[in-house]
Amino acid sequence: MSDYTIREQSNTWQEGASKNITFIVTKDCQLACKYCYLVGKNAKERMPWSVAKEAIDYILGHEGDFREEAVIWDFIGGEPFLEIDLIDKICDYLKNEMFRRNHHWFNSYRFSFSTNGINYHEEKVQRYIEKNRNHLSIGVTIDGTELKHDLNRVYKHSERGSYKDVARNIPLWLQQFPNAATKVTISSADIPYIKESVLHLYSLGIHEVNINCVFEDVWNEGDDKLFEEQLMQLADGIIDGGYYTDYACSFFSEYLGKPLDIERENQNWCGAGKMLSIDAAGNFYPCTRFAAYSLRSKKPVIIGNIHDGIDKNKLRPFLTLDRTTQSPQECIDCEVASGCAWCQGENYDAADTNTIYQRATAICKMHKARVRANNYYWNKLYRKLELEGQREEFEKNKKKSNDVIC
Amino acid sequence: MLQYLIILLDETSTSFCHYEAPKKERKLISLDTLRQGIRFGMMENLMIQYVYPDYELPDEYKEVIESIDHSKIKPMAEDADVLVMNKIEAVQTDIPVVLRIGKQELFAHQKEVVAMLKGAPRLNVVLTDVETFTDEDFDAYKKVLAALSAEVEKLYVEGKSPQLNLLTDRMMLSQMNNCGAGDTSITLAPNGKFYVCPAFYYDDEADSIGDLEQGLDIKNKQLYKLSYAPICRHCDAWQCKRCIWLNRKTTLEVNTPSHEQCVVAHLERNASRELQHNIRKHGTFLPEHEEIKEIDYLDPFDVREDW
Repeated sequence: MSDYTIREQSNTWQEGASKNITFIVTKDCQLACKYCYLVGKNAKERMPWSVAKEAIDYILGHEGDFREEAVIWDFIGGEPFLEIDLIDKICDYLKNEMFRRNHHWFNSYRFSFSTNGINYHEEKVQRYIEKNRNHLSIGVTIDGTELKHDLNRVYKHSERGSYKDVARNIPLWLQQFPNAATKVTISSADIPYIKESVLHLYSLGIHEVNINCVFEDVWNEGDDKLFEEQLMQLADGIIDGGYYTDYACSFFSEYLGKPLDIERENQNWCGAGKMLSIDAAGNFYPCTRFAAYSLRSKKPVIIGNIHDGIDKNKLRPFLTLDRTTQSPQECIDCEVASGCAWCQGENYDAADTNTIYQRATAICKMHKARVRANNYYWNKLYRKLELEGQREEFEKNKKKSNDVIC
Repeated sequence: MLQYLIILLDETSTSFCHYEAPKKERKLISLDTLRQGIRFGMMENLMIQYVYPDYELPDEYKEVIESIDHSKIKPMAEDADVLVMNKIEAVQTDIPVVLRIGKQELFAHQKEVVAMLKGAPRLNVVLTDVETFTDEDFDAYKKVLAALSAEVEKLYVEGKSPQLNLLTDRMMLSQMNNCGAGDTSITLAPNGKFYVCPAFYYDDEADSIGDLEQGLDIKNKQLYKLSYAPICRHCDAWQCKRCIWLNRKTTLEVNTPSHEQCVVAHLERNASRELQHNIRKHGTFLPEHEEIKEIDYLDPFDVREDW
């Protein structure tokens, strides 16, 4: 008997059991991606070592307030690798302190990066990777074909596309992290390039493509139809090319597009509040999306700082928020609700009042288009498996659920 | 559903709740705005509650005020429906009294509070610094409530029916009975604009929810309702103020109470449970109301996994 499976999105390390703590080490980046939600990027706000150290001392010194079994120390920018010296110092200090304090996170930690990949090959970055290899997760963002990537991911001054500078580092990255995934972001202008981009990323050797539409209200009339057509072409490409056994694309999931029970499936999809972000000034945020540089129209939501600690009252709304309380009736009654994501930060930024309890629904028509294409994908795949005599084995081996937490 | 329109007659109208009324310069609402406010209340079927300053109003105002059914919240007893006091002092009145005091004053003067309870048909104690309670304060408050409860029990045994909001409201209620700002009540300020409650006006005049010209415009109105309050809708501290303004001040969300507000309300709830139990030892007492259940938490947030 074979152990036939279809490749699915891999789980995040220690998913659900880990605390995600993000250092916003810089607000600078080489690129000025056209869809970037970081509206306040700048070269001035770089995290000083003293702030990083005080943040670590506070967090590790309050072990009782951070009871999660594991921790993901996340480094974000701008482009985090611009601050590789600081990051290296932070990581050394973290390892020493977790050991010295006999902290329960010692040996249960990861360092995590989402990078544009431009300076991935540089000596300092490579030295850091070598030093921390067994505790590293690195995602390099490459948006697809050169044409698609360079539509959005351009250098900030010259507006030159960055594809070539990223693509040259992909083989090294995959050699060091063979199971690595990339994250692709779709906005209106990208839609015509989805199919060729995903298949292109597969051809580069990337086996997992995590792809999502931006949550912001950027969609034009007819985008949903174009999106649906692109996804159906992608479905044909994946199934006809047999990629589904060894490659995953997060657009397609069996658990997508079902009604959700108002009582049993009422949880918050987003992890804001369970995470902690620290900026260069030493302020704490429930997620990076609530820092000033991420917000278009609202004040930042600061939940404390490295000197005074976390104001737990300000975390209460995040930790008690559920799906139905923030959703309009249309979303609660929606028959294809499962898998429809939200970003708590975008909800807040787009809300009519200063609240996280108003769900932004700009993505609605894109989700519905995705559901239709997803239905097409699975119906086509089921039939193919049936005809090839592999359906039964697939059903036996598949994962039981596919909850995704931001 | 809106039921009440609170009209601040002056910039210095007394506070009757948790907030402070910081304005010192007297400035009456204009007669025209007052008339329009009354008209709005009539058209929307709202019961009007006037909030008075500490000085006598001109006669032309009295005439307009009396043109509609209403109640008067005043810092002096004369002609008031509710008397607001900002310190502990002897009182002998036949109208309800709101006593606004800080925690330390309550902790130090509980006997005087009992005396005030004996001098009024109802005493509403409003703690003006709930958000500052510490673990030590919680312990002290628990003891004060127990001492007050013993006095209230004695009064019941004597055949009286004292009403002390901190202890007796929970025994009389069958469901949540909270602040209602933005849901059952709105406030008209002297500038002719509507606010969620007076505290929102004093915090930021730009934070209005409409005006007499354009009408009401309460954004995210549902968030003022109990059903949209994730912690409160699971709670049975039915007497809790559930102060919308304190919620926003402490947690940044109008629908989410602070830890301090929850614990204070649960200490009162548990003291009410004891009081109910003790009074029932003397005979039948409020048989239509169920026994208040024993619970093992003081902040519903701590047991959110069980919801």
